[in-house]
Amino acid sequence: MPKKPRTSLSVLAVMAGLGLALPAQAQGVITWGKPAEITGFDVHVAGTVASWEMYQMVYETLLITDDELSLQAGLAESWEEESPTRFIFTLREGAAFSNGRAVDAQDVIGSIERIQNPEIASYWAHQLGEIVSMEALDDRRIVIELARPHATFLPALAHITAAIIPVQEYRDGSFDPAREMLGSGPFMVEQHNQDESWTLTRNPHYGRDGYPRADRMEVAIIPDESARIAALRDGRIDFTTFENPDAPQMLGTAGNIANHPIQTTNYYRFDVNALSEDSAFHDRRVRQAMNLALDRDAINMLVFNGTSAVDYPVPAAFGTDACHDLDTYALPRDERLERARALLEEAGQPSPQVELMASSANQVLGRIAQVAQQSLAEAGFQVTIASVPTAEYLQRVFTDGDFDFSASWLAGYTDPSMVIQWWNPNFAVWNLAFQEEIPELSDALADVRSTPASPERDQALRDICAMIDEGANLLALVSKVDYVAYRSDQIEVRLADRTGSANTWQHIAEFAPAD
Amino acid sequence: MSGFSKAAGRLLRADALTLFGLITLVTLLFLGIFGPWLPLGDPSRIAAGPRLGAPSAQFLFGTDELGRDFMPRVVQGIRSTFLLSAIAVTITAVIGSLLGMAAGYLGRFADQAIARGADILFAFPALVAGLLVAAVMGPGQGSAITVISIATLPLFIRVVRSVTLGIAGRGFVTAAEVAGASTLRIMLVHLLPNVMGAVMVQLTYALSIGMIIESALSFLGLGVQPPDASLGSLLRQGSSYLTIAPWMVLSSGAVLSLAIMSVNLVGDAVRDALEPLKGRPLT
Amino acid sequence: MRLVVYLLPRVLAALVTLFGVSVLVFLSLRLLPGGYADILLGPFVTAEARAIIAQRYGLDQPLVLQYLRWVWAMLGGDFGISMVTQRPVIDELLRRAPVTLQLALIALGVALAVGYPLGVLSGTRAAKTRKGRDFGRVIGAMGASVPDFVLGSVLIFVFSVWSLWFRVGGYVPFSTDPVGNLRTMLLPGFTLSVFGVALILRTTRDAVLRVMTEGHITAAVARGDPPRVIIRRHILRNAAIPVVTVVATYFGFLLGGAVIVEVLFSVPGVGLYIFNGLLNRDYAIVQAGVLLAAVVFISINMLADVLYALIDPRVGATR
Repeated sequence: MPKKPRTSLSVLAVMAGLGLALPAQAQGVITWGKPAEITGFDVHVAGTVASWEMYQMVYETLLITDDELSLQAGLAESWEEESPTRFIFTLREGAAFSNGRAVDAQDVIGSIERIQNPEIASYWAHQLGEIVSMEALDDRRIVIELARPHATFLPALAHITAAIIPVQEYRDGSFDPAREMLGSGPFMVEQHNQDESWTLTRNPHYGRDGYPRADRMEVAIIPDESARIAALRDGRIDFTTFENPDAPQMLGTAGNIANHPIQTTNYYRFDVNALSEDSAFHDRRVRQAMNLALDRDAINMLVFNGTSAVDYPVPAAFGTDACHDLDTYALPRDERLERARALLEEAGQPSPQVELMASSANQVLGRIAQVAQQSLAEAGFQVTIASVPTAEYLQRVFTDGDFDFSASWLAGYTDPSMVIQWWNPNFAVWNLAFQEEIPELSDALADVRSTPASPERDQALRDICAMIDEGANLLALVSKVDYVAYRSDQIEVRLADRTGSANTWQHIAEFAPAD
Repeated sequence: MSGFSKAAGRLLRADALTLFGLITLVTLLFLGIFGPWLPLGDPSRIAAGPRLGAPSAQFLFGTDELGRDFMPRVVQGIRSTFLLSAIAVTITAVIGSLLGMAAGYLGRFADQAIARGADILFAFPALVAGLLVAAVMGPGQGSAITVISIATLPLFIRVVRSVTLGIAGRGFVTAAEVAGASTLRIMLVHLLPNVMGAVMVQLTYALSIGMIIESALSFLGLGVQPPDASLGSLLRQGSSYLTIAPWMVLSSGAVLSLAIMSVNLVGDAVRDALEPLKGRPLT
Repeated sequence: MRLVVYLLPRVLAALVTLFGVSVLVFLSLRLLPGGYADILLGPFVTAEARAIIAQRYGLDQPLVLQYLRWVWAMLGGDFGISMVTQRPVIDELLRRAPVTLQLALIALGVALAVGYPLGVLSGTRAAKTRKGRDFGRVIGAMGASVPDFVLGSVLIFVFSVWSLWFRVGGYVPFSTDPVGNLRTMLLPGFTLSVFGVALILRTTRDAVLRVMTEGHITAAVARGDPPRVIIRRHILRNAAIPVVTVVATYFGFLLGGAVIVEVLFSVPGVGLYIFNGLLNRDYAIVQAGVLLAAVVFISINMLADVLYALIDPRVGATR
């Protein structure tokens, strides 16, 4: 009996030697530590960042955005705006799906038709606007005609949800987008073990010569932040992202780990229920009081250690100054609290009891909720926090409208006129459960959608922002920063300093193992 | 009752380990019960100190990621974890004893139904059941209590049933039946005192299981809601910051383990006192 | 024959239990707030989209019909498909079962290798001291008191700060890379085993203590047999009975999915699959997973009953 442990220990020691001797990295392979598994395979349907990020490895869109968030050629090498309602796209020469077939005009038309098909349940149809006709001029040129000018049409085509799928294979049944992925992007899926790992290999027919630089990409699904930190440290993964602002600090000062915070157009937000009679927030004054009493600076300092910034309905990342001079943002906090108390008094609810809901999947939201709870108490609010599973949060907010207010974050996409459509419940139909319609606001939003970027549009955005603030129905809190970390000794990366929604890995084709 | 006083006597002649458990348990219970009135600081005051500050004279257990003093949070955690488990286990003991006695005494259909019910609860993976209940009822104290009850109910039913089976045929029970006592009266007056010992033993065992379940649920974010703390939710909070603020996990983990251990040790002593095992030397 | 008579009522009872578990898991899943449509579409879910998804997976039909269809399909070997991957749930469960089995075997192996000898030693020592107090109680009390997620968190901390040989996450199958496999599986296995060590130690210790009070031991002692012989010949065999029962229950729990440890260490076993399935409201996964866990749990307990009957012939005879 006493001898056994000793033998097993020596075996362990031998195995340790073997393990350490194994090469850490094979050639041409990069490894991504992905925080969450996809929620479905269908690129036209899934509405979650975890899915979008994976789709970007496999699919391409007609247009893409650059670091300045302006539109660039993607699968379409050029596009022409013949009139505000008529666009001609020319596909890139040599673009091909990973099965070798060239991407043609019919793929574009079929993909957009599929997005617009109500049976598919794609939410993206709203963003594209009303398309009256699509026509192939030849194999590589498509004309798309809109019923009326729609400013988000082009930016919407740059979002991964508008990916171009191989329509011919889809129609003949050899490709089922609901259960597999086949695109013209840099990589193709070789193997997938759900919740565990993916193996992607280079798409041999990818349109850009010499890309992707990596031959293979291993993807490890690691939801736990500490486990991701450990994996990055021991070199098992090359790059990953964190939501926790303290992650860079937790990674330590090791010289081989580089941190790269990416500013996004996304921000953390509160959805406030203006419609439910059961909620104190049914009274607009109570909502306004809450908006005024919130201490956004405290959220930035306490939850994000000062690495984020106060944000506005029109995201600061777009560089407009809309909303900056409103009382909510410009007044000192003492005066805001006074105003808030006065509003509550006026509404006859000096200390309203409200429940703040947050998905338990994201601990950052819980922290925001707790800071908000304390700052709102100063104005008289009695806030309780409910941290619930994601599915429940989504159903109660977006379907049942059974909540007071909830914390989440908003994808800012790539154009300010896109994101503020969230304040128009006729457009953002998923908000119907809790959003009050303000006709002037809806009209102004419809106008701005067809206004190209210009000083006039900036003024319109300012007016809109004031109306949004007045309604206090959806509140912007602070910007969402993606904290990217990578092993500088193992991988060469290219990262933007600023991205639209879920575009963190837009330059993935340029990632390569370090020599 | 003389059995109980004898047992109490044996309990008092406890050894060092039991004494350690007893003192720990009493201390933790004191902190848990009187914590809110002790001058320890406000467990939910944000920015009371620096973010993620290391333990110091001012903040004995350091501060958390929102600059809250962690020590009063741990004390609050003891309170939630103990209180919720104790409530749940007490309720379960009552229900479980009644069901167990009914199964053992009534036999036949009642026995089958209750035994199968207990089997079903037992065969259901405990944590999955917990997650389901917590999700259906909504996270919070109510669902924590329900989950603990569901997980510990079979323990009481099984033990009480087997004890009841052993005494149901005995003379004093038959005598009461002949005298025309009602079923309920027989159960409460004649059977209950005889199963009490077994229930007491199970109670401490269930209490430690209850504390593990409560903290596991809170660890997964489905128990006590913020800013209130339970030992499990503190562990969850701390596990995000293990590498730079290990004091959160270490302090709440140590207190949780100590709490469970003290309950186990006192439970062992109670068991030994009620049903002593007399070993004898081999030589 | 005796075995059949002994087993038949147990098998019937097991079927009733399984039926109960299936109804319970089916109903509670449907009662959960939120569904797969929410998970798939995120905040963009609308009533129309929800209806389309519900129709696609037959979730718009009456509950009774859904339940019967599920059971009927299962009897034909069809355990449903995952809504996330559109692939059969059973394939994924079969792929993951060996992972959970390996984890359970590591935990059980450590628990038995450490817990049983210590339990015997502690039991015989305790009997000698007359007061019945010894080191076994200390280890037993400590082991049973550290929840697996506390120990797991601390281990992750230790092994992520100092890059020692063990690794957190990054599972590889034993068949492709045995060393890499053990590097990732030993830590969670060890974490799970600690409770088992305490459990087996305490059970063995008590069993040994109890056996030593019985008549034939007293007789053997009176005969002057050496303690070694008494332990081997009488005590171990008789003390094994409660240990077998406890080991079976423990193993059953381990196989039912050590959910927290699998989640904590990113071990792609059945527990993690059920956990994610639950979060995603991917009903078929949770239904099949829970039912599988119940079948395994019940079978192992029944096996223990049979073993029990074989070791101790008195059990079967009384019926």
